[in-house]
Amino acid sequence: MPLPASQTSPGDGIAAVLDAANRVILGKDTQVRLALACLLARGHLLIEDLPGVGKTTLAHTLARLLGLDFQRIQFTSDMLPADILGVSIFDREHADFRFLPGPIFTQVVLADEINRATPKTQSALLEAMEEHQVTAEGITRPLPEPFFVIATQNPAHQVGTFPLPESQLDRFLLRLELGYPDSRAERALLESGGRRSQVAALTPCLTPPALAGFQDEVERVHAAPPLLDYVQALVEASRRAPAFRHGLSPRAALALLAVSRAWAYLAGRRQVLPEDVQAVWPALACHRLPLAQGSGHASPEEALALLRGVALP
Amino acid sequence: MDLRAQAQRWQRWLFRLQPEGGAVRLERRRIYILPTRSGLLYALALVVMLLGAINYDLALGHALVFLLAGLGLVAMVHTFRNLLGLGLQAGTVAPVFAGEQARLTLHLDRPDPRPRRALALDAGAGPILAELELPDSSSVSLPLPPQPRGYRPLPRLTVASVYPLGLFRAWAYFLPAARHLVYPAPLSSPLPRARSVPQAGDSRGGNGQEDFAGLRPRQPADPLRHIAWKAAAREPAERPLPVKHFAGGGAEEIRLDWQDLPSGCDVEQGLSLLTGWVLAAEAEGLSYGLQLPGVDIPRGSGPAHRQRCLETLALWSPPGARQP
Amino acid sequence: MNWRLPWRRQRRPLPSPLPHSVLPWLLLCALATAGPHTLHQPLWLTAIAGLVLAWRAWLWLRQLPLPPRWLLSLVSLGSLAAIVVEYRTLLGRDAGVSLLVLFLALKLMELRQRRDGVVVLMLGYFLLLTHYFHSQSIPTGLWMLLALVLLTATLLRLHGDDRARPLASLRYAGVLTLQALPFMLVLYLLFPRISGPLWGLPRDAHAGLSGLSETMAPGSLANLIQNGSIAFRVQFQGETPPRAQLYWRGPVLDHFADGVWRARFLPHRKPQVEARGPEVAYVTTLEPHNQRWLLALDSPTAVPAEASIGHDLQVLAPAPLTSRSRQAFRSVLDYRHNRQEQPLVLQRALQLPAERNPRTRELAEQWRRADPRPASLVQRALAHFRQEPFFYTLRAPLLGRDGVDEFLFATRRGFCEHYASAFVVLMRAAGVPARVVTGYQGGDINPVDGYLTVRQSDAHAWAEVWLEDQGWRRVDPTSAISPARIEAGIAAALPDDEALPLLARVDLDWLVRLRHRWEAANNAWNQWVLGYTPERQRQLLSRLGLQQPDWRNMSAALAAACGLLLLLLTLWSLGRRPRLAPEERLWQRFCRRSARLAPDLARAPWEGPLAYGRRLGERLPTLAPQAEAIAGLYATLRYGPPLAPRDRQQLLERLAACIRELPSRRPS
Repeated sequence: MPLPASQTSPGDGIAAVLDAANRVILGKDTQVRLALACLLARGHLLIEDLPGVGKTTLAHTLARLLGLDFQRIQFTSDMLPADILGVSIFDREHADFRFLPGPIFTQVVLADEINRATPKTQSALLEAMEEHQVTAEGITRPLPEPFFVIATQNPAHQVGTFPLPESQLDRFLLRLELGYPDSRAERALLESGGRRSQVAALTPCLTPPALAGFQDEVERVHAAPPLLDYVQALVEASRRAPAFRHGLSPRAALALLAVSRAWAYLAGRRQVLPEDVQAVWPALACHRLPLAQGSGHASPEEALALLRGVALP
Repeated sequence: MDLRAQAQRWQRWLFRLQPEGGAVRLERRRIYILPTRSGLLYALALVVMLLGAINYDLALGHALVFLLAGLGLVAMVHTFRNLLGLGLQAGTVAPVFAGEQARLTLHLDRPDPRPRRALALDAGAGPILAELELPDSSSVSLPLPPQPRGYRPLPRLTVASVYPLGLFRAWAYFLPAARHLVYPAPLSSPLPRARSVPQAGDSRGGNGQEDFAGLRPRQPADPLRHIAWKAAAREPAERPLPVKHFAGGGAEEIRLDWQDLPSGCDVEQGLSLLTGWVLAAEAEGLSYGLQLPGVDIPRGSGPAHRQRCLETLALWSPPGARQP
Repeated sequence: MNWRLPWRRQRRPLPSPLPHSVLPWLLLCALATAGPHTLHQPLWLTAIAGLVLAWRAWLWLRQLPLPPRWLLSLVSLGSLAAIVVEYRTLLGRDAGVSLLVLFLALKLMELRQRRDGVVVLMLGYFLLLTHYFHSQSIPTGLWMLLALVLLTATLLRLHGDDRARPLASLRYAGVLTLQALPFMLVLYLLFPRISGPLWGLPRDAHAGLSGLSETMAPGSLANLIQNGSIAFRVQFQGETPPRAQLYWRGPVLDHFADGVWRARFLPHRKPQVEARGPEVAYVTTLEPHNQRWLLALDSPTAVPAEASIGHDLQVLAPAPLTSRSRQAFRSVLDYRHNRQEQPLVLQRALQLPAERNPRTRELAEQWRRADPRPASLVQRALAHFRQEPFFYTLRAPLLGRDGVDEFLFATRRGFCEHYASAFVVLMRAAGVPARVVTGYQGGDINPVDGYLTVRQSDAHAWAEVWLEDQGWRRVDPTSAISPARIEAGIAAALPDDEALPLLARVDLDWLVRLRHRWEAANNAWNQWVLGYTPERQRQLLSRLGLQQPDWRNMSAALAAACGLLLLLLTLWSLGRRPRLAPEERLWQRFCRRSARLAPDLARAPWEGPLAYGRRLGERLPTLAPQAEAIAGLYATLRYGPPLAPRDRQQLLERLAACIRELPSRRPS
């Protein structure tokens, strides 16, 4: 019996991207899907995990598959904003200042270990993320489209780090933890050797205009009034929960809806269901809910507990 | 026998009290209803009126008594209905010092557009009246009874109403599964002597002697050159001399140590003194560390540091003792 | 011991001081409940209560503090003393009411707490009842209903409504009262009625009722005729007899002395009535007159079981009538009464005061000598009234010692009692046994409800003479002077300039019509509301199928009815949920049915449709396709983009069909 729900496959290109990415990054289906949803919802991604679990590979793979330029910035504590944004140098030939664009002028930026840089440098990147443009020495220069930042962060308790402040965390649409691969995936990894060569061999599945088209389609995914009620109820519940110092902001509510749309689109649906909201909830909510007692943020378990306290309207 | 504990146990059994997390909706079974003193007076008046009506054979008197009796029954339903469906959710409680009044933010909502009036919410420290009239939910700041330091479970909340006629009182209990933090009561006493640290070219550190931050009354240890003589001339003679107060941040640092407490004070007093010191140090912008047997918090300042110190003081118990 | 009842502490969910804004409401309540008592209480009490009210209003306006307690105690003690002086007691009905009014007024002076306000309102509710001592008419009932709504609205404002708009409070009070009405109805019909009194009534219980009296003096009926109020109403079964035959028999007076006619006690004896015509059946509704007699058509043949009929055909109730009551009678209009009469009765029917009215006696003697046959003496007397210049008027001159002489020979102006009295004296003087009968004559049919209305203004007096072989015969001398009185009623019989109650006049057509309407409403009120006696209750209950209504099964019925009403009210007021969309209803049905398959299969409140469908499918693989189809359909309907109505309907039908196909038991 054919299902009446508009259960078509998502755009062929997107399906191919998912497929190819899962062949490179083994056993991380959900994370890859979330990363792609984040990209489709025009948001930036924060990956928090130990070094060596494949953060860079994920970023690189996505960039390659989507046919986007890719730059990697390794953050260090002595890094200055100009190192990211670019500098103007005096050109003797033209007797004029010439702007040398920094590594941020690309489509996919992997900002590695962002919490090693000083807050000043962090905020330079984050402002660029928010505005999609860079202002240096009074001149505003637009960043390329699409512009997608994948930042990675070491767990906060490691030494020599400057944890991102609350206000900056909110600018990342999703936060993921990759975690160790399961034993089967690890075995496959060991058998097939490093991923680097595989990534290099990837061919793009999409072109930037096609990606923009998918992003537009995601925005058109239907969100019915009962679903909006549900999103509101979730946000309201987060504000009331005594476990958290404060709840989700209206911006976070918009973000939740946007990622839910992208997730529904990736599932081949033209309407958002509560399941979509629930699927993206921990990745979206955890880093936005500071614990009321002690420091740190909600764990995925706490976020899910909150979710389970809210009935579908 | 501890009658109070006995009564509480009995109540728990009778009202099936269980700590509940999340939002609670008052269903039929949670709401209890009994006549109030006014209700009993009303019933008595009705009985007397009925006797009068029978005795004088007043047909309309009968009708009046019966109408009033009907009114009482209707009022019962309406009082019950005033609570029914009400949604309650415990919000946050800001940490307080022992002896201060903690306040719980309680969120109320209703599933239907019916206004709810004269809801008396009580956590044991006096009722607060609330109304739900606008379509949105509303929040009430509910005083909690004073508690000793530590993490304290929230007390049982009562939501009651006699609306509309005051003849019946409907009530329901709610035991939120949450706790709140109570810091030790601060005792103010002079800070132990501050230790100046040599400035090590740190760009963050300013010289604490340079930024003029205002005037304050002179204390015996203030250097003479800090006295604001011009300001002093404008003040009446009996006032203490005003002293220029300088701020820098991180200029002075101080260690608040359990060992520095005056001898002869017990654990609670000591914690109270330390709490007072933390507050004073924070207020003066010092960089301070806290040392208790088994705990060592490195120097720091700012709200987060203050909170950490206070929390430690609230939860600390001497090694080998029961957790407070 | 540090222990208290757990809820004692939380007894008072409202702050105890009285809200300032409630005071005008309380004052209004006091006015509405105590105000109408001004009509029935001494002026000084009204003055005191009014002054206290005004004082309190002024204090409120100026926000001044309340007077000290000693001053209030002084005022209350003084008023208490005044009440004792006025009524000689504190216990009687009127003294009690005055006491209540006084309490109410003084309680207003010490309103500090919310509870004081409640006490004022309880007093107010109580005072409402006391108005029914004086009147139970429709307007009183309506006024009390309005006052009750006002009191209830004030009670509302005392308990948390004090910031609402006044109209909103009144409306809510009205809604509460309306919802209480069914309870009132049920209680009114089913509450086991006891007829009072429960204890000895104070003497003043039934003062001030009007009606015929046991004596008749010149002018006494004329006074009654000025009174337009209703004496009784009659509902005939079948045709209403012609007006001229409607003689409603009241007290029979056989003793004449000092110009006053009285009834004298006679040992009881069964009357002999020979019917010479058909019987008429009817039911009278008698207004209370605080006397024992009932009024029946001449001559009654069947009377209510508890009433007795005297030898003179007078019907007596066992006790004075203090409340409106209904009696069923049968009468024959053409009859012979006591053809064999006791000698004692005949002897008394010849009694005349000696030494009085010599000219009358002389005239009678003269007539007797001319023709001693009693029948021709009667005719002679009637002819005398007809031929001589006698006038029928309410304004009869006052009469002296020999009143009948003066009337017959000098003034010749009189009213029915003058003619009846003069006629009986003439007959007795001529040796014919005769007596005076008082009662009512005639009545008006109310075209609205068909009841015959008999008023005090229809009061009448006529004569009876005893004739050999014929027994007692009615002779109405008034008909000789003014036939119109009997044929058309008092208003037609009197000259135009004579004062009659406005409403007894027939020439104001619209007024009459209006009056008929009003009286019909009043009559229905009396019959169905006020006249709901224990007997009527029993009748109604047996008609409803409660064969042997005693207090036990009545209480059971009452409890059942009240419980049912309470349940209905609860369902009505609690069960109003927003209407669910059809797909939501179907989905909930599906969830309920699958929850029945296994307890752990119930949908968690937060569980989305597809996730639930998948979970069901995993647990019960045989159901998987169906469950997923249902979940998919529901998800499309609820969360999908809006559909065309036809498509939507189609999907709904498919969803319903899928759910119908689900097994109701877990597949093995």
